[in-house]
Amino acid sequence: MNTLRATLRQPRLTRRTFLKHSVATTVTLGIAAGRAADRAESGQPAAHTGSDSPSQTKVIDCHAHLDHRSRSTWEADDRKLIEAADKLGIDQLCCSILTPRRPATAEGFQECNRWVADGMQRFPGRVRGYCYVNPGYRQEALEEIRRCVEDHGFVGIKLYHEYTCTEPVVFPIVELAIELNVPILQHAGHAHYFLEDQPRISDGGRLAELSRRYPEARLICAHVCGGGDWEWTIKALRHAPGVFLDTSGSVTDEGAVEMAARVLGADRLVFGCDLSMTASVGRIRGANLSAQDKAKILGGNMAKLLQRRKS
Amino acid sequence: MIIDVNAYLGHFAFRQLRHNTAASLLQWMDAKRIDQAVVSSASAITYRNAQAGNEEVFAEVKSHRDRLIPFAVLNPFYAGWQDDLKICHEDFGMSGLRLYPKWHNYQLSDRCCLDLVNAATDRGMVISIPVRVEDNRERSWLANVPDVPLDELAALVKACPQARFILLNGLGYVKSPLGRKDNGLPANYLIEISRLSAVLDNEIGQLLAGLGAERLVLGTGMPFSYPDPALLKLEVLDASQSDKEKIRRLNAEKWLRL
Repeated sequence: MNTLRATLRQPRLTRRTFLKHSVATTVTLGIAAGRAADRAESGQPAAHTGSDSPSQTKVIDCHAHLDHRSRSTWEADDRKLIEAADKLGIDQLCCSILTPRRPATAEGFQECNRWVADGMQRFPGRVRGYCYVNPGYRQEALEEIRRCVEDHGFVGIKLYHEYTCTEPVVFPIVELAIELNVPILQHAGHAHYFLEDQPRISDGGRLAELSRRYPEARLICAHVCGGGDWEWTIKALRHAPGVFLDTSGSVTDEGAVEMAARVLGADRLVFGCDLSMTASVGRIRGANLSAQDKAKILGGNMAKLLQRRKS
Repeated sequence: MIIDVNAYLGHFAFRQLRHNTAASLLQWMDAKRIDQAVVSSASAITYRNAQAGNEEVFAEVKSHRDRLIPFAVLNPFYAGWQDDLKICHEDFGMSGLRLYPKWHNYQLSDRCCLDLVNAATDRGMVISIPVRVEDNRERSWLANVPDVPLDELAALVKACPQARFILLNGLGYVKSPLGRKDNGLPANYLIEISRLSAVLDNEIGQLLAGLGAERLVLGTGMPFSYPDPALLKLEVLDASQSDKEKIRRLNAEKWLRL
């Protein structure tokens, strides 16, 4: 394990480090890396996005968080996140920072996004940014998204549970996401009881409804393995091809990934951890799917989503 | 060699389980290089008469006793538990119990429960207690079963110092007396790692430092759970190979007297 850790902390994408990284990824994520090694040995480009080949997949965590700086340990915690990603063979983490208390104020989400931008500078090539907004602050939210995406290279929008995603107040956000070609990661969950602390939480059904209204939007339904009844969520999304499903969460129920792949297709699944690192990597490693499908889930699908962004 | 102290056979009332027969579980264990597993009835969690689940497990593991170690599920408030305990131990060769106080609606501090724990201990059986069966957020509309609080487990291990416990599917031990040195508790319990973190907060690492490697044990939760997350935790854990070997196998061998 020392070798694995030491290997992945090194600067990335040299021929030598790519070889080592491929081996580490094979060990932790269970995808084939033999052809990657061959390609790197032959001097061809190493890891890159946009391929579904297991040997070329860059592993992208579609759902991560940096710490809010009200926590005294934020800097060390952020480093721990990168170290954990190193250990587990995760190349990139798409991160947001949420305000400790909701609903977020405009000043609150703007501050969070400044810290994400700083995180992208502190961990170049590892941290990519989601712009978190509260749609209730329409003008500030729209300006913030445009500023983050166009000026700071953020790759998507993060929405929490200030509003259910089908409420009209959210529509301008979705329309801007379509204009900028960035995905929206929507916090979601479906429980068979009322969530008193999250009365406006979205779920797979709401996201499917939103997708019918905006079929060109690219929506990500967050943490299917940490959002209540995952079987319900998967079934609710069957006929919503514009909605991708984030596999993250702390629940390690066997069969969740396979059912999602069977019902939605592996092309609509995106790997995430939401800070449940070993649970989330382990469920993909354990899923009874082809290496090709795992490669799509681990990074291929997310890479395609991110490539749509207007530069 | 790997020993899994947290595996199951049979059906669960609220979700389809795969790999839940002895044959398919063994195939899965082979694929994951797990040599032996402690199994109990998943069906008995919701059967009124848990003994029917024990009978099913006994029949399933009969020809696989070298690899599947059956534990009994008993409810100390159900008629005839003393007879069932005797049958499970003497006739079925079950070397331990799994208790579900919240699913079976009793308190670990109830006299009946203490009687069962003491009777099983007199027989040399291990007592294992899953903190949860499934995540409460995914619960059915029919059942709202809370996790077993760690302070209730701490009170039980203190009340039964002669017993040997294995605590399954829990987390948050580092904030409980169960996870601290000099906690005033007997060293009569092992903590299973399937829900503990090995990175970020690294609860496993904290327990290694706080309690010692002798007190941790590997379990996967299969077939409820993918076994890979638990196995992966052990892989990425910053610990010596000898400590990992204790967690992977040696502690379970000693506790289960294999």
